[in-house]
Amino acid sequence: MAGGASFGLTVDLALAGLTVGSAAALSGIGLVVTHRATGVLNLAQGAQAMATAYLLRELVVVRHWPTPLAAAFCLLLAAPALGLLLDALVFRPLQRRGAGAAETMVACLGVFVLLIGTVVLLWGTAPLADTPSLVPATSITLPGGHVLRLDTAVQLGAVAALALLVAAVTRFTAFGGQLRAVVDNRRLAELTGVDADRVSAAGWAFGSFTAGLVGVLLAPFLLLDPYGLPLLVMETMAVAVAARLRSLPVAVATGLLLGIAQSELTRLRPGGQLLPLVQAVQANLFVIALLVAALWGRTLGDGSEPVAGGGGRAVASPAGRAARAACVVLVLLPLGFQGGDLRRALFVPALALVLLSVVVVTGYSGQVSLGQAGYAGLGSLGTALLISGRIPGLPPLPAVPALLLAVLATAPLGLLTGWPAIRRRGLALALVTFAVGTAMSRFVFEQPYATSGLTLDRPAFLDGDRAFYAAELLLLGAGLLLVRRLHRGRLGRALTAMRDHQAGAEAAGVDVPRLKLLAFTAGAGLAALGGGLMGLAGRAFDASAFDPVQGLIWFATVVVAGADSAVGAVLAAALLVGLDAGTVPGVSAVVVGVLAMALGRMPGGLAGAARRAARWGGTRPGPAEPPGPAGTRLSPAGARVRARIAERAGPSAGPSAGDRFGGPR
Amino acid sequence: MSRAGAGRLTARGVVRRFGGIAAVDGVDLVAPPGRITALVGPNGAGKSTLFDCLSGAARPDEGRVLLDGCDITRLPEHARARLGLARTFQRIAVFPTLTVAENVLVGAEQVRRHGARAATDRALTLLGLAAARDAPAAELPTGTLRMVELARALAAGPRVLLLDEPSVGLDAAETARLAAVLRALAADGLPLLLVEHDTELVSELADAVYAMAAGRVVTAGPAARVLADPRVGLSWGEATG
Repeated sequence: MAGGASFGLTVDLALAGLTVGSAAALSGIGLVVTHRATGVLNLAQGAQAMATAYLLRELVVVRHWPTPLAAAFCLLLAAPALGLLLDALVFRPLQRRGAGAAETMVACLGVFVLLIGTVVLLWGTAPLADTPSLVPATSITLPGGHVLRLDTAVQLGAVAALALLVAAVTRFTAFGGQLRAVVDNRRLAELTGVDADRVSAAGWAFGSFTAGLVGVLLAPFLLLDPYGLPLLVMETMAVAVAARLRSLPVAVATGLLLGIAQSELTRLRPGGQLLPLVQAVQANLFVIALLVAALWGRTLGDGSEPVAGGGGRAVASPAGRAARAACVVLVLLPLGFQGGDLRRALFVPALALVLLSVVVVTGYSGQVSLGQAGYAGLGSLGTALLISGRIPGLPPLPAVPALLLAVLATAPLGLLTGWPAIRRRGLALALVTFAVGTAMSRFVFEQPYATSGLTLDRPAFLDGDRAFYAAELLLLGAGLLLVRRLHRGRLGRALTAMRDHQAGAEAAGVDVPRLKLLAFTAGAGLAALGGGLMGLAGRAFDASAFDPVQGLIWFATVVVAGADSAVGAVLAAALLVGLDAGTVPGVSAVVVGVLAMALGRMPGGLAGAARRAARWGGTRPGPAEPPGPAGTRLSPAGARVRARIAERAGPSAGPSAGDRFGGPR
Repeated sequence: MSRAGAGRLTARGVVRRFGGIAAVDGVDLVAPPGRITALVGPNGAGKSTLFDCLSGAARPDEGRVLLDGCDITRLPEHARARLGLARTFQRIAVFPTLTVAENVLVGAEQVRRHGARAATDRALTLLGLAAARDAPAAELPTGTLRMVELARALAAGPRVLLLDEPSVGLDAAETARLAAVLRALAADGLPLLLVEHDTELVSELADAVYAMAAGRVVTAGPAARVLADPRVGLSWGEATG
């Protein structure tokens, strides 16, 4: 190839890459500005983008508004209004209460899930190809004969305009001074008379506007469905994370460079086995970038407080017994179902096991994991590969050994997220686990070898749905026993200690890194078991069932049900499947989303609320029996110490138990 | 309460840097058995950083930490804890969703398979926590939580006890109780090392005092002499409490 032609191709590819790159840069501007003004990494941005795109399509295609009017309405009115609404209803109350990063993150996920649920409810899940384009599909010819698409030019213009606008406002206006003050120290800024709420509101409105802009600009390039666009936009979080959520120039540059790199990679055409890999990398460069940026950004956000545990530990109470009884009845009911109802119910125990994996990792151990759907998918895919005899060196296996082997093989892969968890927490860990789950989906589940020619046949004795359901219940029971082991006794106390106060646990001799690896390994195994059962229930490997966005919905569901409640997870699985089957798809997501947004007022989720209600109902354990110095036997050394205390401090000052500590209150 | 005899904690030339600045700059220190050793100095003198280097929460960049002559410099914190190095925190570290007894049990059962419950009961009784044993730790006042933390440390049967500002948040009566407990523990042979701002408590309790400033030990010796040293002065007195 001649040098000139090669250079020309490079330029053309770079120009093509700017389309994606400028969209990523826009998304990055929105995330960075929102974070600077509000302190929140807006995980819901992708859903906001998607919802705005749906709204625009509704107005233009269904209601026949003129496109410019509809676009102005969506971007200048609807999107900022959504931002202001979220600020007033969700994030300002959290801010005012001094809520931590974990709580804010769950609220963001709540917004995300609610928006997806609403869109599914209103417009369904069928992909739409008729999204209106704001910019005519023409091109402009640059000097040298290179062609730049007009929409790309418009996007680049928007990037430049917004970046300049933000820079100018920050630097030259009084509002910018307030913004800088709030970024430096919110409390201090408030004390000196800065209206920090106004800054936050402006941040949310602007962030929501850019999210909407990204959505309406990107939507014409792809089939619009409730899952694809949010995921795409979430992947562009890589840009903001690389900029440490602060630097606008870095975010813009990273976005543009990644877009260009993605485009240039299409020139690489290695032969043979490498080609699919290179193509996957090329198509998913932003996922890789997000993984790298999240691994790099170890100290991103604090988020040191656990997501779970707000409601106190489960105690033997009538409410707890009632919940367990309801749970048992609910999972036994489908044994009496027929046909389609029974077939749908097959997903309940399987999903319950996946949700239990979140309980173990997040609820019991305090480690945020947004990637459990990935492990569930690996379990499903592994089972399918083993049954189909696609693992080299192994004959096709019957379903049961295949499932168990897939679980055993997936469990150690929990180290993929467990290892990063040793030195990360909060937001940084959330991003790493999300990126790992997304990478699994993109690089494994969505590759042709995974989906083509796989069988997931059930053995003869489990062919009937009722028999299979019974077998699922057995495995769910086994899973619950394992989970119980992780919450009781020496191991359970150590995990709880790690969740409640990691430094304290370490000082007490708890081997924290080992426990984290154990929690993620157990979680991966449970998720794989649930995923494998999902595959066997539907007799097919369905990559979309393990979509990372699905994983976010599951995570929010568990946190809403009460992250450290195993019973809550089983009930939540029944409700998720039941609500969508019994009403309209999307209802369950709306319910979960609303509850997740309200979680700030309901620490510990529904299980925590139930526990508190039970305690206020007068069912708390009675006061402990009065102690007494004579009541407990001391070791000889202890007795000596006690005697010395008494003799030194005089008869009254010895730490006798009754005088100061008046039992539980 | 002590297990297999009391130990001796030694720091030799410990250095810990943050981005080129030495927060701890070549500190030698000994916490001998049966003695209460106090570490004083103004805020930013490097006391807490040194403390972290000793407990294992941080690794020194140079120097060594010895427990009974064994080099533990490279051991992670939980391994040091299992060897008998117990610590408490300036900002109380309890596990709020566990009960008082469970909090203490966590400390006991990391170091022993058998007798953890008995050790827990002994620690609870010793520190007057038996009545509160089934209360969730989240609901207790500061003074009680300090005792819970101390009980957790003692239940592990420590050979050395490190206490980071144990009197913060305690009223006068609680401080007096704490002093009595600490004195009794030392009298039983346990080495105690405490970081403390309360001059009065230090002069009342400590057998030896190390005064730190800017990452170095400025002076060390008997409490009365060190606290009267003009170099220690009252420059850190303002930070009391």
